[in-house]
Amino acid sequence: MASEMQNSNPTILNAADLPKRLRPAPSRKPGIFGNGLFASALPFVYASKLPPEGFTSSSESESDDDDLLEEPIDEQEIYDLVSTISDPEHPISLGALAVVSLPDISITPTLPYVPASPLRTVTVLITPTITHCSLATVIGLGVRVRLEQSLPPRFRVDVRIKEGTHSTADEVNKQLADKERVAAALENGTLMGVIAKMLETCQ
Amino acid sequence: MTENPTASLTLLSDLTPPSLERTWLTAPHPSLPIVATCSSDKTVRVYSLTNFRLLSTISGGHKRSVRTCAWKPHVQGESVLATGSFDATVGIWRRWDSYGRAEDGTDVRGLSSETLDGNGRDTQEYEDDEEWRFAVLLDGHDSEVKSVSWSPSGMLLATCSRDKSIWIWEDLDDGDNNFETVAVMQEHEGDVKCVAWHPVEECLASASYDNTIRLWREDIDDWGQVACIKGHTGTVWYLDWEGIGNVPSTAAVCEQGTSLSAEWKDQRAMSGPRLASCSDDRTVRIWKRRPKEQRAQSQVGSTGIPSIIRPTGTDETWEEDVLLPQIHELSIYAVAWSKRTGLLASVGADGRIVVYEELFLTSPARTPDTNTPTDTSAIIPRTHTEWVAIAILEGAHGIYEVNHVAWARRADRCRKENEEVLITTADDGSIKVWTLRR
Repeated sequence: MASEMQNSNPTILNAADLPKRLRPAPSRKPGIFGNGLFASALPFVYASKLPPEGFTSSSESESDDDDLLEEPIDEQEIYDLVSTISDPEHPISLGALAVVSLPDISITPTLPYVPASPLRTVTVLITPTITHCSLATVIGLGVRVRLEQSLPPRFRVDVRIKEGTHSTADEVNKQLADKERVAAALENGTLMGVIAKMLETCQ
Repeated sequence: MTENPTASLTLLSDLTPPSLERTWLTAPHPSLPIVATCSSDKTVRVYSLTNFRLLSTISGGHKRSVRTCAWKPHVQGESVLATGSFDATVGIWRRWDSYGRAEDGTDVRGLSSETLDGNGRDTQEYEDDEEWRFAVLLDGHDSEVKSVSWSPSGMLLATCSRDKSIWIWEDLDDGDNNFETVAVMQEHEGDVKCVAWHPVEECLASASYDNTIRLWREDIDDWGQVACIKGHTGTVWYLDWEGIGNVPSTAAVCEQGTSLSAEWKDQRAMSGPRLASCSDDRTVRIWKRRPKEQRAQSQVGSTGIPSIIRPTGTDETWEEDVLLPQIHELSIYAVAWSKRTGLLASVGADGRIVVYEELFLTSPARTPDTNTPTDTSAIIPRTHTEWVAIAILEGAHGIYEVNHVAWARRADRCRKENEEVLITTADDGSIKVWTLRR
């Protein structure tokens, strides 16, 4: 870890102001998908019986009847999964630091020209607390790891730095998108130690 | 998409049992009907292509994912496998060729189905493992090894890594498993993702995270870069060379076929085999070298005296030959250019397998066929070809990304003469064998 803090006085949002589901459904608690190994085996049918949520700005209208049954994961769900990750510098959540925010999360079909494809891409745009934060890659990796461990394998994770918020965004984005580099990073004990600490606060 | 697939891929078999973790690459043996599959579980599995079952598991050599492997060519009576791992090392493994030979599916070593049931972790497999002899560990790279490749003679081994370097090792073949470092090239500005040797010459191609492809040759005693190809706009993931003597399909132009083929071969003799590449930019491109003759002429014209430092004028000009039909929607991780049929296959993150064929085009302008050898004939190709996607398979491994594709000679009982199969390797650990029906 860096010996000096990169941003010693970050802006922190009030917990009450963070986006939440108005009527939390028991089957949608964050953490139900938390066990990576078995996440894909969990049934999603319960959630589908709930009335459709109208207050999240879902970019995708889930018109496909069959798809609807297996589409309980929405942007709020993703937000709940990643907003509780701790910043590597502060014992503060990424949600409270506004590093991740609900409007910067989207779920889209991975292969739009293949309507039958169950693949979905989760895009999370990250806003680093300061434009030159060298921990942006670590934060991005933490978000990617969290989502890959929590979501079923038909979800592709796309984590990027929000445009205009970081000086070396292209470089960081290329690293985060490189499957081979991410795979190798997951086998790096030191790096995974840092990530594990960030994810400790996730339920 | 203007493509109109005329062929289809049919699943012949899975290779079983699969790895339970991500598999990266499957390398067909140069002569035996076996393949080696690299896995994130730190092992390499060797499968039979005659019965599609696991023959043995090579483990204990690497501390992290095995990312890549390659069989050494031209070894008599023994199989030699080089493995590259995220643990930054390259392993060399040997095994006497007493197994995997049983063409009819009955295994010479008495590997019964009982052995392969369950997790394949019983004593008999343990004995199998014993027969893979760990020969030597090549230590030199600073970080993950991404690709390894043996030169056509088998004398040289090229390895590359995230440390941006390419190492060339000479196998001294002294019976003592000694390898000597011949060269370390560090010109790439990012991870080197793939190295691939020219099919007959000692010329190495490399692909990188820096979006370039580079070519390397030895000049007197020094290995140096002879070309840097810029064209892709994303990481170049994989390379494969055209086979020597490859000729596009003449099916569409049967009457002119013979003369076209002859003309094609003349042109190819000057420029040599082409190179195929695939990238994060979702394209497959083919590159060709500007024919040597032209350069030789210009050199004579300028001074008439060959340069002392670079007597052969090692710098080469490579240009884009063609951009293949764009079928993939996400990163393309591998291409395979069949040395037998000339067909090219690509796979990637979108889970698709695409097979392309190169066809001669009929051009009315050239029907009189006045075959006068002018200067322009070397520059302007008189033979026009077109690449078409002849087969597209969606979701080849279900929802999983496909990391690698390779052509191999079909070896099961139902094979036809010289028939080939396509072998794909995916994120969920599955390896599938496909036949192409025309």
